[in-house]
Amino acid sequence: MMEALLMAIVAIPGVTFLALSLMWLVGWAPPERFVARLTSAGFVLITMGVALLTWLMLASGTVSVRVPLGKWFHAGDYQFPLAMLADRLSLPLVAMTAVLGGIAGSFSVRYVHRDRGFFQFFLLLNLFTFGALTAFTAGSIDLLIGGWEIVGVTSVLLIAFFGERPEPARNAVRVFANYRIADIGLLLASFVLHHGGSTLFTPLLPGEWPEQTSRLSGPEVMAAGFLLLIAASGKSSQGPFAGWLPRAMEGPTPSSSIFYGAVSIHLGAYLLLRFEPVIQAAPAVAMTTTAVGLLTALMATVANRVATDVKTSLAFASMTQLGLIFAEIGLGFPRLALFHILGHAVLRTFQLLRAPSMLHDHHKMHAAAGGELGQTGALLNGLPAGLRLWLYRFGLERGYFDAWIERLVVIPVLWLARVIGWTPFGTGQKA
Amino acid sequence: MFRLDSLALVSMGSFVILWAISVAAAPRRDREQSGLWELICLLAGTLMAYAAADIYMFLAGWLLTVWPYRRGDQLRPRLALAAATVPLAVGAALLTTPEYSSIAFGAFVLAILLRKGIFPLHFWTLDAFEHLRLPALALLLNSHLGGYLLIRFVIPAFPALAAEWLPVVSWLALSTSVLMAVAGLAEAQPRRILGLLWLSQGSFVLAGLATKTQEGITGALIHWWVVAFAMTGLISVYRSLEARTSSIRSRSGFQGLGAHAPRLAVFFGVCGFALVGLPGTLGFVAEDLLFHGALKAHPLLGVALPLATALNAITMLRLFVTLFMGRRAIHVPKIPDALPAERIAFTAVVVLLVFGGLAPALLIALRDPSAVALARLLSGQ
Repeated sequence: MMEALLMAIVAIPGVTFLALSLMWLVGWAPPERFVARLTSAGFVLITMGVALLTWLMLASGTVSVRVPLGKWFHAGDYQFPLAMLADRLSLPLVAMTAVLGGIAGSFSVRYVHRDRGFFQFFLLLNLFTFGALTAFTAGSIDLLIGGWEIVGVTSVLLIAFFGERPEPARNAVRVFANYRIADIGLLLASFVLHHGGSTLFTPLLPGEWPEQTSRLSGPEVMAAGFLLLIAASGKSSQGPFAGWLPRAMEGPTPSSSIFYGAVSIHLGAYLLLRFEPVIQAAPAVAMTTTAVGLLTALMATVANRVATDVKTSLAFASMTQLGLIFAEIGLGFPRLALFHILGHAVLRTFQLLRAPSMLHDHHKMHAAAGGELGQTGALLNGLPAGLRLWLYRFGLERGYFDAWIERLVVIPVLWLARVIGWTPFGTGQKA
Repeated sequence: MFRLDSLALVSMGSFVILWAISVAAAPRRDREQSGLWELICLLAGTLMAYAAADIYMFLAGWLLTVWPYRRGDQLRPRLALAAATVPLAVGAALLTTPEYSSIAFGAFVLAILLRKGIFPLHFWTLDAFEHLRLPALALLLNSHLGGYLLIRFVIPAFPALAAEWLPVVSWLALSTSVLMAVAGLAEAQPRRILGLLWLSQGSFVLAGLATKTQEGITGALIHWWVVAFAMTGLISVYRSLEARTSSIRSRSGFQGLGAHAPRLAVFFGVCGFALVGLPGTLGFVAEDLLFHGALKAHPLLGVALPLATALNAITMLRLFVTLFMGRRAIHVPKIPDALPAERIAFTAVVVLLVFGGLAPALLIALRDPSAVALARLLSGQ
């Protein structure tokens, strides 16, 4: 019963996506009301399913539901195992996806009403939900990669939603580049785990979350830990990948809220939480995770204070909290990190959904306070003027992350690409 | 004369489907007169080569596929295709002479490198993409006759030499894959971007065969299909757009065609994402197998292939947004979205790529016997 319920929860948005795609492919563009109701019904069913599953697990004293689905495919001694897992880590995140996704979807019915991309938006919302639920309920890293990549692609397509303007299209490519480079870490980590014995979480991480242990040992722990950290940093906009999140705010506000306030941005932290025993088994990885998180949090909180638009400011605020969550994971506080994720996701979704009304809200607050809203940033007045100026510039330049990536990676790679074109054995490029 | 085993039948079946899709989606101007002659030669020659039991029959099929290109303005593609035939003929003549086995093997490898456009013999492919008729070119390249020659004749005839020298071929294929992926990042012309994507992704097939592992070889054979169908889809959609508005060949910046042709945009997107291994498509399965096989064979190989795929994915998305995003192009008159024949052809490509991705076991089973046999030959069993 619980196994079937778990599979149904994940399948609902996937089936909705396929049904809507087929309708469009055969030439029928469903009316807005139909699309909205179908999607709403899907989210209601998912939410009810999660509630029922949680109740069944609590009533029967079950800590985790594990569904082995056999092999997806195999060749020689290599196989791609399929397994699902709902435990104390994944179930809260599945519930978060269902509830916040449903709220963002409901908000979007009005937000993208009569927009040319209305259908495309809901199609991608369903695909994204399917990807996120697949990633959270994956019982093996192979399946997790599947869900992870779907979330990445839908995220990029929604950043380019207002594609008539060049900037969203350019930023979508930039974000996609970040994702793809970071995802190499995940692919290589899956190989290390495969080499270490299994990509299934049950044999790899015995026990129940958060009291699991790691079966990996020796250099494999270190390699897997660092590769997972690269992938997680890419997804959660941390460390060298910190530059993409403000660019991702080009998408519609409801998608920003569900992707960068709630689900997608926390997927990296989820990956680290899932492999927390591996991270803790390699002290160097744990220390690096903490350092990456704290440095990103410091940079982002300064950048947040000088951001000139509300969505960029919220993007840096998200990055700050994710930095702290990374630090909590690195320091070995997985329960705290999970609560932090849930609290942050709810607050940030609310803030992003209210972002278009920010001035209105501010005026209301101002009036309610009798016109006496306190000044913010007074703490910084105690700093020396030179340092304050430096911090201001550091914030405006977003910690120089983008500039350094541009200088150290983008420009040299493009130069190399042109050189390849000019060489006698090159491509004859005329760039 | 003919040898119709599972390798030949599967290859012939998939090529006939590919041919039908290309012809159905090709603009009328590409399947009239000389265009039709090219397409018929390609079908007959490729099927003959796939079904060949001896090397001379294969050579005849190979010759038939390049016959339409013996004349024309484009010197480099003509020269390369003609030049690839010479070492093939030399290899065929020396195949049964044991004392010249090294020369025969070297000649075959040269023919394969030329035909597949492997670095440093890739120079002709971008010219071909820029100037030749795209539907026929897609079929010529996606028949992968170079790879087929390696699997069908070269490895079985020279297993020891193949085991010794395939790593060199693999490194050349890997270089092609990475160099072309990097070059794609700075390329602006859509046709040349398609050429670079084909060169980079297509060379994975040889790199995978050279891993000598069963998962690597199976991955290479599945990737063969992915490149064939996804690239045919991409090329056909692009050609459909080009036939509607020829200015996209020369115009830089965002073209804004997505507003005119949303279905063509979706077909292009699905084929592109399948080519670079999006989950839920056959590309994901192929690359999962390939990467694991490659990492097992050599760590550097296993790191370079995902890197090349990541760069190709960026190039693919860049091409997608360039063609389909941006302000609705005012210089373009109202153009039709996918026409019925195109819609059927592109739907078939998408169904194959997506169905193959959701239920890959069936397709892997079709390729498995060949992969097992090749892995055994290469490991000296």
